[in-house]
This record gives sequence, C-alpha cells and structure tokens, in this order.
Amino acid sequence: MNKVQILVIEDDEPVKNLITTTLKARDYHYIAADSGSAGIMMAASKNPDIILLDLGLPDMDGVEVIDRVRSWTNTPIIVISARSEDSDKIAALDAGADDYLTKPFSVEELLARLRVTQRRLSLMQPENERPAVFCNGDLKIDYSAGCVFMGEEELHLTPIEYKLLCVLSQNMGKVLTHRYLLENVWGSSWENDVASLRVFMATLRKKLERGTNRPRYIQTHIGIGYRMLKVE
Amino acid sequence: MEAGTDYLKERNKEHILVGLSSSPSNGKIIRTAARMAEAFDCPLTAIFVETPAFRKGSEDNKARFRENCNLAESLGADIEIVYGDDAAYQIAEFARLSGVSKIVVGRSNVVQTRFFRKPALTDQLLVYAPEIDIHIIPDKSARTYYDSRQTNSPDILKNVLKSLLIFAGATLLCLLFHRMGFTDANIIMVYILGVVLTSVATSHQVYSLMSSVASVLIFNYLFTMPRFSFAAYETGYPLTFVVMFLTALITGTFAIRYKEQASQSAKTAYRTKILFDTEQILSKAEGKEELLLAIGSQIGRLLNRNIVVFDGGREDMRPVLFPAGDGKLQAYDLEREKEIVSWVFANNHRAGAGTDYYSWSSYMYFAMRVNERIYGVVGIEVNDRPLEAAEYGVLLSILGEGALAMENEKNAREKEEAALWAEREQLRANLLRMISHDLRTPLTSISGHASNLISNGSYFDEETKQQLYRDIYSDSIWLINLVENLLSSTKIEEGQINLRKSTELLSDIVDEAVEHCRGSSGAHEIRVYDCDDLLFVRSDTKLLIQVLVNLINNAIKYTPDQTPIEIRLTSQGSMAQVTVSDRGPGIPDEDKASIFEKFYCGSNPIADSRRSLGLGLYLCKAIIEAHNGFIVVEDNVPCGAVFRFQLPREEVIFHE
Repeated sequence: MNKVQILVIEDDEPVKNLITTTLKARDYHYIAADSGSAGIMMAASKNPDIILLDLGLPDMDGVEVIDRVRSWTNTPIIVISARSEDSDKIAALDAGADDYLTKPFSVEELLARLRVTQRRLSLMQPENERPAVFCNGDLKIDYSAGCVFMGEEELHLTPIEYKLLCVLSQNMGKVLTHRYLLENVWGSSWENDVASLRVFMATLRKKLERGTNRPRYIQTHIGIGYRMLKVE
Repeated sequence: MEAGTDYLKERNKEHILVGLSSSPSNGKIIRTAARMAEAFDCPLTAIFVETPAFRKGSEDNKARFRENCNLAESLGADIEIVYGDDAAYQIAEFARLSGVSKIVVGRSNVVQTRFFRKPALTDQLLVYAPEIDIHIIPDKSARTYYDSRQTNSPDILKNVLKSLLIFAGATLLCLLFHRMGFTDANIIMVYILGVVLTSVATSHQVYSLMSSVASVLIFNYLFTMPRFSFAAYETGYPLTFVVMFLTALITGTFAIRYKEQASQSAKTAYRTKILFDTEQILSKAEGKEELLLAIGSQIGRLLNRNIVVFDGGREDMRPVLFPAGDGKLQAYDLEREKEIVSWVFANNHRAGAGTDYYSWSSYMYFAMRVNERIYGVVGIEVNDRPLEAAEYGVLLSILGEGALAMENEKNAREKEEAALWAEREQLRANLLRMISHDLRTPLTSISGHASNLISNGSYFDEETKQQLYRDIYSDSIWLINLVENLLSSTKIEEGQINLRKSTELLSDIVDEAVEHCRGSSGAHEIRVYDCDDLLFVRSDTKLLIQVLVNLINNAIKYTPDQTPIEIRLTSQGSMAQVTVSDRGPGIPDEDKASIFEKFYCGSNPIADSRRSLGLGLYLCKAIIEAHNGFIVVEDNVPCGAVFRFQLPREEVIFHE
C-alpha cells in the first residue's frame, strides 16, 4: 500500500484514464482535475505529495500552473508534454518542475518517474538540515571535507567537477536544466558555456562511471540537462 | 481577325529616337520625345554620337550631357551611344537598323569649324534617312553652349616643339637634296611628308596648317629662283605653291582624322570586347552569386574603379566588393551608404555622386533592373572623376545585360523549384497512399483485438488474453515508430532551415538511442564501445537519435535472437564515426546499392513477416547527409552487416 497521494491534472480523457488506472493498479492514491484552475484548487486543498501535470491544458498554460503552485509549495511536479519540442520542457523545468514525460510514454516509464520522485521525496524530508555526508550507492561525498569517494577509493575531481557533483547530489532525482547548472556552478548562464558544461560533465561521468556501459549516477537529458539518479 | 489586327499593330508600331546632346535645352527635346512616346505608347531610345570633339570638350559640357542622359533614362528611354565624326550618318544608320519610325532632334545652328563647311544636322538627316519622320524642335541656345576646345599650355609647347623639329629636319634634308641637284618635285615631296608627320605627331589640326603654310613659304624663300626672297620668277610657281599647300593640308587632315579614328576604334574595340566577354561570362555563370561576381568584375575591368555590388535578394545588404587594379578597397563605409542603397532599391532610380539624390556620397549607385523589377544595385566610385560618355554607354549595356541574366536565372530557378515541388508532391502522395495502406494492418489488429477483449473477454483463458495484449502493444509500438519516422522525414524534406542544431556529446546521443531501443531489444544484447576522445557533433539531436534508433531496430528485427548488436564510436581525423554491427544474415551485395532508397524493402524475406515501409534507411541517409556526413553499409566478419556513418566533429572551446 502506497501512502503517497498523486494529483493528476490532465484534460484528455483517455490519457487520464491510462494514468489513473495505472495508479490504481499500483495502489497509489490519486485525485484528478481536468483543468489548470481546478488543479491549482486541488493542489491547495488536498495537499498532494506528487503532481502529474499535462502542459497542454485548455484554460491556462502549464508553466503558469507550475508558477502558481510553486508560490506556496515544493511538491514535486512531473510534467507531461505532447509536444516534442524541448523548449516547453525546459520552460517547465526552469519554472520549478522536477521531471518530465513525453507522449507517447509507456506505463513503465510513468511508474519509473514516480519511483524516482518518491525517493527524492523521502530524501527531502529533513529539508533545512543537510547531512554533512552524502551517500548514493558507492558514491560518497563529504561536503565538509570536500572529498569524494567511490567505494573505498577517493576520486580526484577538479574544483568545477566537484561543484557540479555537489549541485547534482543536492538535487538528486530532479532534472536540472543547463541554465540551472550554469547559474549554480559558473554563476553565469552564457549560452556558449553549455559546451563547457558538456565537457566537464563528460569528464566527471568518466570518473564516476568507469567501466560501466550504462549511466548509473548521472543521466543525460539531451538538449535539456542532467539528473543524478538514486542508485540502490 | 484578331491575328490580323495584331499584325497591323506590330507593323504600325512606332519607335521614337531622340538625339542626345550636351546642350542645356536638350532636356526640352527629350521631354517632347518622351511625351510623344507616351502618346504613341511606343519605345523611346535616346542616341548620342560621341565625336572626338566631345571627348576633348570641357567638363561642364560633359556634366550637362550626363544630366541630359539621366533625364532621358528617367523618362524611360534606352540610352545608346555610338561613335563617329558624322553624327547625322550615325543617327540615320542606327535608326534604320533598329526600326525607328520617328526621329526627334533639336535644330542646331552649330557651324562646324572644319575645312569643308557641313550642312546642318537636320538637313543631312533628311538626306540619309528620307523614309523616317523627322521632328525638329527649335533649340535657341544651341550656339551659345558649344564652347571652344580646351587646350593647355604644356600641350601647346610640346606640339610647337614637335612641329618645329620636324620642319627643321625637312628643311635640312631639302638643303641636302638641293645641293645634290635634285629637282623641286623631290623637295616638295619632302615638305609634304613633313606636314603629314607633323599632323600625326601633334594633337591638333592647327599645327599641320601652320606647317603647310611654313613649308610653302620656306620653299619659296630657299629653293625657288631668286633664292632667299619671297619673289618667284617663273610664272608657274604661284600654282605650284597653291597645289603644294592644298596637298599638304589635305593629307595632313586625313592623317589626323585617321589617327583619331584609330584611337577611337581601339577604345571601341576594347569596350566591345568587354561587352562581348560579359555576355560570354554571363551565359556561363551559374547561380546568382556567380552572376553578380561576373557583373561586378566586368564593370571593374571597364572602368578600373572600385565597384560594390548589392544583391537584391539579400536581406542583410552585404555587398560584394571589387577593388580597382591594385587589389585594395579603402574602407567602404557600408553603414553610411546603406541608406542610399535601400533608397535605390525602393525607388528604382539611381542615386549618389553626380545625381540629385544623396550627392554627398563618393559612389554612384545604379539599379540593375528589367522593367520595374530590380535585381541588384551597383555602386561605382566616382570621387570627382565623372564617368566618360562612352564608358557610361557600355556600363548601361552591362547593367542591362546583367539584369536580364539575373532575370533569366531567377526564372530558371523558379521553374526548377516548381519542378522540384511537383516531384515532392508526387512523393508525398505516394507516401500517403502507402502509409494509409500499411496503417490498415496494425490498426485492424489493434481494434480487432481490443473489441474482442471487450465483448468476449470472459471466454478467453489468461494465456490467450496475454497474447492479444502483447499483439496490441507491439502493433501500437510499430505505429509509434512509424509516426516518429514520418515526422523526421517531413522535417528533413523541408530542408536545412528546419534543423535545430546543437552541439552534443556523441556518446550521449548514442546512449539515449540505445535506451530508447532497450524496451524492444528482446533477446539481443546491445554493447556500446565509447571512444576515448570526447566526440562532439553539431546536429539535430532528435534526428540523429532517429538514425541510431532505426539502425538498432533494423538489427533487432533482422537478426536472430541471442546475437549481439555492437555500437562503436571512433574518431577519424576531423570526423566522428559510428558503426552499428550485427551478426545476422548480412545484406546481399545486389541490395547494398539500393538499400537507402525510399520505399525499398529489400529482396530478402522479412524474418518476422513484419511490414516495412522502406522509409527507415532512406531517412538515415537523408539525415546524415543533411549533417554533411555519409553513411554506408558493409559486411561484418564473419557474418552480418555493418552500418557505418561519419559526421564532422565539432571543436569545443570551453571555459574553466
């Protein structure tokens, strides 16, 4: 039995049915709204744990819904976008969404995103008190000492790589856009620096994920950004 | 009936020719001619006969001519410039050759200062072209403007010196001949030769005239009895003197005229050659850029000045510069000149130096146009060195020629585009038909299975139901893939502009594609071998992922279970290479060439009887080529196929 409650804001009936039946099958509690304004009302009154938000709503822009909801709560928001353009996803993520799904998506994909967000939720609990040591699978970051370990071995990171890793670890499970990373690591969002970001991210990943075929710790979202995954 | 009236119309078609001159009142004549042309609704041509006298004339004179020329052009006249001494003859010849029906000239009272006084131009025209209507407009100020020729003192000194030298030489030779006892005839011949030489060596008739007079006098003084006096005993001598004088003068005059014509025809030949070359080059040039290049460089050759050419089709108004001779173009202030150029484009009228508009500029701008359509603007550096009338004529010809070539090029391009568009429409129609046909099968299966499950669900056992669910699922996945490919294919067919290129790490793109295919990879193992270098490529990421997804899905579909699919990234100099290899049956050699064609489905039986649109590999090739890369298919060892593609690597400069 899942104790989390999920708010589904989606106007398209078949897609809403797909989502809600999936949620029902996995024992999630859910509530549904078919417009942006109804969704905002429900987010305020029912205080859900996760919000699934369709970006193409009839009454208002999805980004506006995110803006309104973010004005009072940090409830994780997963946006669902039919448009395959990256720009609306980036706009949603920059507005404060945590993750995104592109239609057509599979049921497994939806459930995987929910699991990632749930884990993030559990880590978010002690919000104002950040632990001095971060652990994720074999990865250990000692914030106070500024050291990074993979298992027993200490990794030698450049200052930029370390800063990148810190920002990613502090937002584990959340997709961070290029702009967010640039602003928080370099302190600028100069478009040309995206290339630098990619280079540093590539070297960082080489150090973290040596010899593995599939990315485990850091996931690339091409054209959008990066995310640290929780590793069991 | 209609054809008959057309024929009549054609036959009675008027063509008006107006004489251009540097007279201040020529404007009035041009305007009259233009009004006539308008009334008759017929073409108007303005002709100017460039005489040697005009070339030597004053700058004021030339400036007035240019003003009149501009006026004629702005009133819609074609400007023609011909060369020759005999204006009437040239005009009549031109009129006859180009089917002119009416000639409009001013009544000029110019008295030509030639040896033989010529009748008035209008009278001559009547003689040369009796079949053409001649309209004479009074031109009161004609006499006053015709100024005397300009000469400057260094020229005079040089010419006088030359004449004196030749004359002295002739006299010395004659003295020698006289001593040797030669007859008077020989001496006269030597003097005539001297006069001819003088007229060739000097630049004006007056020198040969003086030389003739001097020859006669000296001959009289030195060689006739009594010697050393201007008297002559023999009664025949006065006649000898007159004949000698006339012979000397006439041969001299002819020599001068010949010299002028020679230099004129050399110039004309050069200009004709440029015009001819221009025609040749223009007919060979392909595309707008080459045409503009040809026009600019030919005008540069003609005028030997700095030239700028603006393309009418370009939004950003970046000119092509053609520096004169030495290969350097001193700072051309584009920002300042832009305003004039856009004015010329907007008003279809020349502007800049020497015109009424923006005359502060050091460049003069001409519109390159056919009727009202403007194809480009040519700027010519003037810098207090106004264009000569002859240059002007050739320039206008080149501009007209160029504009025509541009128009032809545009028409050809439009035709080509229309053909291409029709072909694309045909392809699209084919595609649509095939798709609608191919969509029917999976849709029938999906809707059939679903309706079966709704109405008969309770009769099926669990295993049957699972099978139906799986079929629905795989058919819908097939549809999703098809839609992705169709979207990519429309995007690629719309051309480069729709590519959203960004610089990405190639291994990230490969990872994403592999991730996308994992769900359907079944019993295949997908192995990725990354490159040690960071391979960056500039691409439309979605399309590139589509390429990899198609290649991987093909490998999954056409190779037996349990066989691995290997993806290898390598660096090949300035290119990044990706290979997707499988251990399947491979591609038969006869299929290798056509496998990337649209709707090609191959001759081998499809393993799982799954339909294929033959769109996937075609799309792969189109996408890779749109990214300046290439894709080939090769054999794997010991068995299987290798799809190999390369894309240009992108250098990434990064900031710490």
